[in-house]
Amino acid sequence: MNDKENTKKEKGWFGKLVASFGLPRLIITLFLILLLVLAPFVGADLPTQISNIIARFSWNGVLVLAMVPMVHSGCGLNFGLPLGIISGLLGATLSIEFGFTGPLSFVMAILIATPFALVLGTVYGWLLNKIKGGEMMIATYVGFSSVSLMCMMWLILPYKSPNMVWGLSGKGLRTTISLEGYYNEVLANILRIRIGNLDIPVGTLLFFAVLALAIWAFLHTKTGTAMTAVGSNPTFARAAGINVNKMRLLSVVMSTWLAAVGILVYEQGFGFVQLYMAPFYMALPAVSAILIGGATVNKATIMNVIIGTILFQGIVTMTPTVMNNMIHMDMSEVIRIIVSNGMILYALTRKTEVAK
Amino acid sequence: MSKNTGTKTMQKGKVGAFLRRGSVPLMFIVICAFCIPMAGLSPSYLINEIVTRMGRNAFLILSLLIPIMAGMGLNFGMTLGAMAGEIGLILVSDWQIVGIPGMVLAMIISVPISILLGLFCGKILNMAKGREMITSYIISYFINGVYQLVVLYLMGSIIPIKHTSIKLPRGYGIRNTVSLLDMRQKLDNLIPLTIGGVKIPVMTFIIIGLLCLVIIWFRRTKLGQDMRAVGQDMDVARDAGINVERTRILSIIISTVLAGIGMVIYLQNMGNIATYSSHSQIGMFCIAALLVGGASVDKASIGNVFLGVILFHLMFIVAPRAGAAITGDSMIGEYFRVFVSYAVITVALVMYETNKRKAKSMESEQLKQAQLEEESK
Amino acid sequence: MKSKKTLLIRIIAIAVLIAIAATMFVIGRGHTVYFDNKDLEADGTEYKSYYQIEVFVDDVSVAKLKSGERGMVSTMGQDFKMVLHITPEKDAKKVGSAVTLKLPYNLDGIILNLPALLGGAPEEVYQEEFIPAPVIEDESEDVIVTDEFEMPMGDE
Repeated sequence: MNDKENTKKEKGWFGKLVASFGLPRLIITLFLILLLVLAPFVGADLPTQISNIIARFSWNGVLVLAMVPMVHSGCGLNFGLPLGIISGLLGATLSIEFGFTGPLSFVMAILIATPFALVLGTVYGWLLNKIKGGEMMIATYVGFSSVSLMCMMWLILPYKSPNMVWGLSGKGLRTTISLEGYYNEVLANILRIRIGNLDIPVGTLLFFAVLALAIWAFLHTKTGTAMTAVGSNPTFARAAGINVNKMRLLSVVMSTWLAAVGILVYEQGFGFVQLYMAPFYMALPAVSAILIGGATVNKATIMNVIIGTILFQGIVTMTPTVMNNMIHMDMSEVIRIIVSNGMILYALTRKTEVAK
Repeated sequence: MSKNTGTKTMQKGKVGAFLRRGSVPLMFIVICAFCIPMAGLSPSYLINEIVTRMGRNAFLILSLLIPIMAGMGLNFGMTLGAMAGEIGLILVSDWQIVGIPGMVLAMIISVPISILLGLFCGKILNMAKGREMITSYIISYFINGVYQLVVLYLMGSIIPIKHTSIKLPRGYGIRNTVSLLDMRQKLDNLIPLTIGGVKIPVMTFIIIGLLCLVIIWFRRTKLGQDMRAVGQDMDVARDAGINVERTRILSIIISTVLAGIGMVIYLQNMGNIATYSSHSQIGMFCIAALLVGGASVDKASIGNVFLGVILFHLMFIVAPRAGAAITGDSMIGEYFRVFVSYAVITVALVMYETNKRKAKSMESEQLKQAQLEEESK
Repeated sequence: MKSKKTLLIRIIAIAVLIAIAATMFVIGRGHTVYFDNKDLEADGTEYKSYYQIEVFVDDVSVAKLKSGERGMVSTMGQDFKMVLHITPEKDAKKVGSAVTLKLPYNLDGIILNLPALLGGAPEEVYQEEFIPAPVIEDESEDVIVTDEFEMPMGDE
C-alpha cells in the first residue's frame, strides 16, 4: 500500500491529497470535523467544546513536543517519556516540600527538575547509545522500570509536607496531590481570555509557543542540523565528522528535560500532581498524538506536534460528548484506544530506514 | 566500534556469555534466598503455591518459545491468544457448557479466533521487520481495544448473551468478572493426587508434558528447521528457498493458538475471568518468568520455562511479605515485585541488543581484516 | 496433487474439531437440578411429601431433605441419575430407589418434585423450570474502559 502511495502514477486530486496527507490522518481529520459539525445538533455547546480542546492542547503540547529531539536524532519515538515525567514529578514534589507557593513554586519545580532530567537523561541516552536499533522497546521498559522503582521511592523518601503525605500515617506521598495554592493554573491565568463560554489559556499557549520556537530555532542551528543529519543518515553524518553518539545523547537529554517541563505544564492545567502508576500511561498518548500529526518514526516537525495534539485531544474531548448525546453509548474510550494504537501501528509498519 | 578483537575476546566471551546467561536466575536465587526467611511462610505452603502456579502458567509460557525460535523475539502478542481464550470461555459459560467439555469447547472456539488474530499479527510484524517486539507490543494494545469493543458493546447486543449473571444490567456488555465455578479446577482435579500435603494437578501436568514433547518434535520437523533458519538469518533462509514471510506468520499463529489454549487452562485454575484485565498482565508475567529462567530474546528452552516459573513465582509470593516485614508497609513489597518484573525484562532486552551489536561489529571487523589481508597480498 | 492432500487433511481436521465441539455441546451441558420434598396437587391427584429423603448423585450425598425442603445439585449432561433413600414416616425403614431421567436441554435450572416423581406422575407434573428471582440491581456496575494495560497490581 505504501509503495503504491509513493509511486508517481497519475492520480486525481484526492489521490494527491491522500498521498501528501496520509490516509489515516485524513480520516481522523474528517472525523474530527464531523464531530465538530455534529456537536451543536446533539446539544453540546460549541464554544465550551472548543475551549476544552484548546485547554487540553495547552496541557499536553509540551509532552508531545518532547518527542521531537529524539525522533530527529534517529532514536525513534520516545516511549521512555515516563523517565522525564519522573524528573518533573521530583521537581514538583520537592518544590512543594521546600515550601514554595504560588507561581514561584512552578519556576522552582522546573529548576529543581532540571538537574534530575539532565542526569537521568544522560544515563538514558548512554544506554540508548549502547543499543542502537532497539531503542523503542527498551525505552518502553526503561520507562516502566523507572516508574515502578519510583513507586517504592514515593513511599520511602522522607517527604514531610502535610499537603502531600498520607494524613493518617504521616509518611509516604499521596497518589494525587492538589496544586491549589501552589501552581494551579499559573500559566493559564496569564493574559487569560474569557468571552462567554470561550476560555483561552493564553499564557500556557505562549509558554508552549516559546518552547516550540526554541526547539525550531535549535534545529536550525549548526548543532541542530547535525542532529537531523545523524537521524536521517548516520553513516553520512559520521563521515562528515559529526560525533553521532554525542548528538544522540544530547537529543535524549533534551527530550527528557522537555518531558519534565511538559508534565509540570500538564499539572498546572490539570490542577493535580499524579504520582505512582500515573506516569505509566503517559507515553502512548503523546506518541500517537505526534504520529497523528504526520510524524514518522524518524521524521517530526513542530507542525506535526501542533496538528497532532489538536487532532488527538480534539477527538479525545469531542467523542464522549457527541457519542453520549447521540446514541447513549459511550464508546469514546474504546475508539480512542483503537485510533491511537492503530496510529502507532501504522507508523511502525511504514517502510523506513532503521538507523543502524 | 568495538575495540576488542582476536581470540582472547572469544574465550573471554564464552565465559562471559555463560555468566550472563546464568546471571539472572542466580540473582533471583539470591533474592528468593533472602526473602523466604523474612516472609515466614511455611515450606508446605510455598511448595503448594509453586506447584499450582506451575500448572497454571507453564502452558502459557511455553507458547512463547516458537516465535523466539523464528527470531521474532518475545511475542508480546501472546495476549491476543489470551483474549481469544477468554472470548471462548465467556461464550461457553453463557451456553452453560460446564466442566471439561466446557473447557474443550472454549479451546475449540478460541482456535479460529487465535488463528485470525495471529495471522493479522504476523502480517503486521512482517511489515515491521527489525522492530517486531515493539510492534507486537503495540498490537496487543490495539487488539485490546478491539476486544473491549466486542466484549463491552457487541456482546449482548449483536452476539447473543442470555444469562444476566454475566451480562451487565444495562443489557449489553459483559460484567467485570465472569464466574467459572462449574469449571473451576476441573482439569487439575481430574486425576486427584496429593503427596505429602501437596496437591498435584496431574492432568494439567500431563498436558504440559505433552506440549513439551510436541515442541521437541516440532523442532525436528521441516517447518521447525525452517523457522530456525529464518531465525538465524532471513536472507540466507530466503536464498535457501524458504518462504520467510509465511514461516514467520506461521510461528506467530502457532504461538497465539497455544496462548489461547493456555489461557483456558490458566482460567480454569483461577475459577473466574476478570473480563477486562485477565489478559493484560499475562503477557508481562509470562515473558518475565521466561527471562528469569535464563532465556534471552533469541534463545529459550523448555528448561528455562520451568526454572523461570519456579523462581519468578517464588519471588512473587514472598516479596510482598518480605517487604512488609522489612519496611512495615506491604505496598512496598507489591511495588518491588512489579519493579523486578520490569527490570528483568529491561535487562534482558539491553543484553540482547548489546550482544547483537557486538556480534555485528565483530563480524564487520573480521570482514575488514580479511579485506586488509586480501589487499596486502 | 500434494495440495489436494493437504486440503483433504485440513477439511478432515476441521470436521473432527466441529464433531468434538458438537459432542461437547451435548455432553457438557450443565444443569442445576433442584429437588423438592413438598406436597403437590395436580389433576386431582395429591402427592404427599415424605418424612425425609436423602439424595445421592455419583455416590455422594448431596441433600438430606425433610418434608417441605429443597436441595440442589449441579450436573453435566442430559442423563441424570440419582439414588434416593426415602424415609416415609418418622422411625420408618429407609427405602432405596434409583431414578434415571432425561433432563430437557434448554433449561438451566430444573425443579423436580420428588413425591410426584416417585408417585409416578407425568413429566410435566413433577418437572418445572427454575426461574431465578430477578435480582434488583442498581446500574452502578459500570465497566471502566481503559488502556491501562499492564496494571501490575494485585496477586495474579
